[in-house]
Amino acid sequence: MGQQAINGIFLGRIYALFAVGYTLVFGVLDIINLAHQAIFMLGAFCALVLVGELHLSIAVAFPIAVLFSGALGILLDRIAFRPLRGRAYSNMSGLISSIAVATLFEAIALQFFGPDTSRFPFGTFPERPLRLGGAVVSTLQLCIVAISVVLMVVLTYLLRRTRLGRQIRAVAESPRAARILGIDVDRVIAASFFISSALGGAAGVLFALAFNSLSPDIGRSVELKGLAVIILGGMGSVPGAVIAGFAIGLIEVFTVAKLGSSYRDAVSFAVLFLVLLIRPRGLLGRVALREA
Amino acid sequence: MSTLGDLFLTYQSVISFVGIDALLALSVYATLCCGQLSLANAGFMAIGAYAAALLTLHTKLPFAAVLLASALAPAVFAVPLGLPVLRLRGIFLAIATIGFGEVVRLALVNWDYTNGALGLVAIPQRAQLWTIYLVLVIALFLFSRLRGSKIGYALESIREDETAARTMGINTTLAKLSMFVFGAALAGVAGGLEAHFTFMVAPSGYGFSRVVDMLVYAVVGGVATYLGPPVGAAFMTLLPEVLRGLGESVGLAPGPLRLFVSGAILLAVVLFLPNGIISLPLLFAAVRMRRERG
Amino acid sequence: MHRLIELVVLAAPVSFAAYGADVVKVGAALSMTGAAAVYGTAQKNGIQAAVDDVNQSGSLKPLRVEAVFDDDGSKKEQGINVFQKFINQTKVSAIIGPTLSTTATAADPIAQQSKVPVLAISNTAPTGITDIGDYIWRDSLTEAQVIPGAIKKAHARLGFKTAGVLYGNDDVFTKAGYDVMKKALESEGVQILETQTFAKPDRDFNAQLTALKSKNPGILVVSALADNAASIVTQARQLGYSGPMLGGNGFNSPAFIKNAGSAAEGVLVGTAWNSSSQDAANQAFLKSMRERGVSPDQFTAQAYSGVLIIAEAIKKAGMKGGREDIKAGFAKVRDLPTPLGKFSFTPARDAQHDPSVQQVKGGKFEILQ
Repeated sequence: MGQQAINGIFLGRIYALFAVGYTLVFGVLDIINLAHQAIFMLGAFCALVLVGELHLSIAVAFPIAVLFSGALGILLDRIAFRPLRGRAYSNMSGLISSIAVATLFEAIALQFFGPDTSRFPFGTFPERPLRLGGAVVSTLQLCIVAISVVLMVVLTYLLRRTRLGRQIRAVAESPRAARILGIDVDRVIAASFFISSALGGAAGVLFALAFNSLSPDIGRSVELKGLAVIILGGMGSVPGAVIAGFAIGLIEVFTVAKLGSSYRDAVSFAVLFLVLLIRPRGLLGRVALREA
Repeated sequence: MSTLGDLFLTYQSVISFVGIDALLALSVYATLCCGQLSLANAGFMAIGAYAAALLTLHTKLPFAAVLLASALAPAVFAVPLGLPVLRLRGIFLAIATIGFGEVVRLALVNWDYTNGALGLVAIPQRAQLWTIYLVLVIALFLFSRLRGSKIGYALESIREDETAARTMGINTTLAKLSMFVFGAALAGVAGGLEAHFTFMVAPSGYGFSRVVDMLVYAVVGGVATYLGPPVGAAFMTLLPEVLRGLGESVGLAPGPLRLFVSGAILLAVVLFLPNGIISLPLLFAAVRMRRERG
Repeated sequence: MHRLIELVVLAAPVSFAAYGADVVKVGAALSMTGAAAVYGTAQKNGIQAAVDDVNQSGSLKPLRVEAVFDDDGSKKEQGINVFQKFINQTKVSAIIGPTLSTTATAADPIAQQSKVPVLAISNTAPTGITDIGDYIWRDSLTEAQVIPGAIKKAHARLGFKTAGVLYGNDDVFTKAGYDVMKKALESEGVQILETQTFAKPDRDFNAQLTALKSKNPGILVVSALADNAASIVTQARQLGYSGPMLGGNGFNSPAFIKNAGSAAEGVLVGTAWNSSSQDAANQAFLKSMRERGVSPDQFTAQAYSGVLIIAEAIKKAGMKGGREDIKAGFAKVRDLPTPLGKFSFTPARDAQHDPSVQQVKGGKFEILQ
């Protein structure tokens, strides 16, 4: 039982990290960015190349991969979202252009890395299993949890205490009002994409390390779960995404333990439905009626 | 040296798929035209496809009856799903319907009666090119009748501003639900046709990427009129085949590069043709007028 | 100069007609993008290598085999389109593929209708493939032909009384494997304590493995494809499960050993291809792939063998490479030396050759004695 709880917490952390990026962009742009999972995947590959080919240590490769992912986010915004701003149905065209860019990213990954599954070279991270009661935790898992906690704290600080954070929140509330207030909305959106994609890339690297598996399609398995997480947590709410990430991770794990794995994904979606029907704004979302 | 006959044989499947994809695009358009983004249609398509397949494999019903069933089966699910879910606004509706689609797929993967992941095979090919296009023409006809009618105006006003439409006395719930069910029926019948054209059904064909494809057909074609989505479907379905043919002559090997080109073309259409491909003739006309004016 | 023009003029029509000409065209419909891209790529390597080797050996003189590759995107619609193109435009003599069983159930009927022989090289669905008709043949053993022997041998060696089973339920390959594993275990009198499933895109198996481990099974039987297999085995060991593990065909890949590392040690694999076989055909195959810098797996071996089988069919038909010739030739293939061993077709057009049980020892697959 304890082992399952640990499994759940660990899985939840990664979901949370991934979802936070989703929710940030959604909060600011009202768009589901379906290229997020592709950046998740490319961030992981970036780290793989740095560690595998250039023989950098993971401690150095990780921040570089995170920055690289952030840069991809800015690129994504520039080519797929910015040209669409101000158009009618921009939500939908934004959704589709994010799909197009996701396809481009996946094609690039397929071309350079092939469809095979790779993993980080053995010894990238020293693995030492620890025993807590009857359960096993590895040093890698603890480290991943620690890193994601740090990233979340940094993000929260950024959003609450810095000027950029205030600007992001202002744009999320109402871009028109923000523009009137003199905020450079395009720059703020670019910054949000940077942060969101950096976190997505970070989640990707940690995911690949945690489950020793990397291929151009790893984003697929988290893509839909990520949606369930942000709905449960509340669109646009970072702490909501964190809590919901844990909740879904734990729910999934215990569903497997009690009901069997066939029901695992179905339960996540059932939770999704229940939340949408009973309390659409999720745990901590704002009841925002989005102003233009 | 391929004769015209060979050419037709080579491409008749593609043309048939264009017809099926056009129906799928219209099924998504059904809810888009009243401003709702519903992504449940892969699930509805699966229900229609499996219902039709089971009927053909286990009963002696004529094909017309089977097709009717493939339209009704998902409609039956659409009503209890639509009532609560259509109350949600925008993105929440989209996500809820994505969830529905996934639940249908997962249920089919786990259902032993239909062989889980393998699905149902050896379905006789009862749907031909003409059957598919007959159904498509009927669907287009229904949409054209909708256009100038009272219901059509009601839908448009809901799309513009739902709250205002309600205050004007339009029963928005009924209107949205009707289009939701209509879309489900269209997706179901497309599924039934496809099942009887490709000899088999399997859960893997009805996942999230399927409904994303449908949405892409509709938006790329243009959602201003009902003619847009079929055009978009034709474009996107023909694209990989055109690339296949072109690719060989320029030495573009099958594989990731073709995928890249597909993605690039999709992006270009979204960025530069905001009202879809169907707005191209208008664009040309506008450009020509501007040039004439000097 | 004038001789050159003559040659060019003569060469042009030859490339259009495949019937009775010097070149026998084989259409390879493979999944080079999409969910099955890993396998399609491995198959392409195998087919290309075999075609080159067959042509180079001159065993089909004056005929030559040419492989035309196309991508079905792991989707049945594209599979159908590719088949139509091969049949009506490229006018191939035979089709090899498609990669996925689900694509096959949609596209093979078209080949059957058009009387074009199809040789499946990776379709392992127990029914629905060769049943389609007499033009559909396969060289890939189904799990039903591989697993029971593996479980029997493992049981005899290790004597376990209970088992935990983990399988991918959203993929035909792994689901078919599970059905067979369940029956085989039951017929050996082994009690299945717990069964868990996963989906192909999954990477985290901790929940399922924890549930399985908690029941203390005597062996962990897994039906998974290579990518998942490596993660499963690694995570099982990390969670502290130290008992034996047995996998099906999906495990039979160097990628499995590479990605699982030390966790792969001791894992038993029931497989259609004995990679360590010393047979001449297998050694030649390994050498050929090595020269191309490819690390072959079972998919590569079955694809390579497929081309050898087609070449043999052409020979048996009297050095004729037409569609009916190849179909008739298939029926005459008997005990052909291939990397898979001595190969024949069963009367039902399925594959027949000896499967094997291997164990990972020292980072390599070895036959279990």
